Amino acid sequence: MEINLAELREMHPRLPPDLAFALAARAALGLQRNGHGSPVAMELEVERAAIRGSLAWIVSDPTHLEQHDYHRVTEDGAEAITLALVHRRRGWRVVRRMQREEHADWLLEQTEEGPRQVVALEVSGVDRGSIAGRFAEKLVQVALSADVDQRWAGVVGFEEPRAALGSTEADRS
Amino acid sequence: MNVDVLHTLVSGAIWRAEQLEEHQVGSASLAWGEVSSLEEELATVLSVSLPEGRIARRGAVRAALKARDYARAHSLAERYAADEGAPESLRAAFSSMLEDDARTLADQFHYAAKHHAVQEARELARRLKRGGAFGLAA
Repeated sequence: MEINLAELREMHPRLPPDLAFALAARAALGLQRNGHGSPVAMELEVERAAIRGSLAWIVSDPTHLEQHDYHRVTEDGAEAITLALVHRRRGWRVVRRMQREEHADWLLEQTEEGPRQVVALEVSGVDRGSIAGRFAEKLVQVALSADVDQRWAGVVGFEEPRAALGSTEADRS
Repeated sequence: MNVDVLHTLVSGAIWRAEQLEEHQVGSASLAWGEVSSLEEELATVLSVSLPEGRIARRGAVRAALKARDYARAHSLAERYAADEGAPESLRAAFSSMLEDDARTLADQFHYAAKHHAVQEARELARRLKRGGAFGLAA
């Protein structure tokens, strides 16, 4: 599966243009500070199934890294990659950002197959090390999200790089 | 304004407010006020029967509390709780938000809270705002 972060806004037309740009730029900085160049091979795990992926982005000037908060580069970068991944894999599009107390970062919609469904998506990033523990935490968090049809979590690791994406339903089975 | 545009605007507004809050910038409360207004506009156009309508109603009340505008949060919560078809879970969410906020305030001003309940002080403030000093005395 090929993912190009330059297409993030086309994938999600309701994303504000400046926000889409900022998320993609931070993803680029997070990947570059871990020594990766575009495109890079990426290990993807969607609903426990391993998929080979390739991730491309517009190269960011590394001197800009100092202007960004270290933690926000990881978290916002993970959001860009996960939003691109859910669109490429499931065809979902962003409806809106959610306030933190809704237990998810984004509300998405599935319109391509069957009746419309709304999906809560909680995202996190890990700059170095394993993503398994964080992924389990995020599934627990998004399980509390109310008024949605599906609850999903996505975690991106920048060191390898790799991403895990799954739903609370699959976690229970 | 159509719903898609409002959703785009509220996404940007929430993101900005979160960034300001993380950096402890004083104007974060103003940014949350903007979020509350946009959520209120969404709540006006989206029925409470829709998931997005309920998310917007919770969002309008919660963002008003983050903007430290308790009177607005209380008034919105009252209005949305009275919506025909509002589920009990939504009414419970409003009560929980207002109670949590009162608890946080009591923790911040624990000496004052020993002598006056936060809800009592807020009720007096609401009456003062609505009717002025004479309204309060009535």
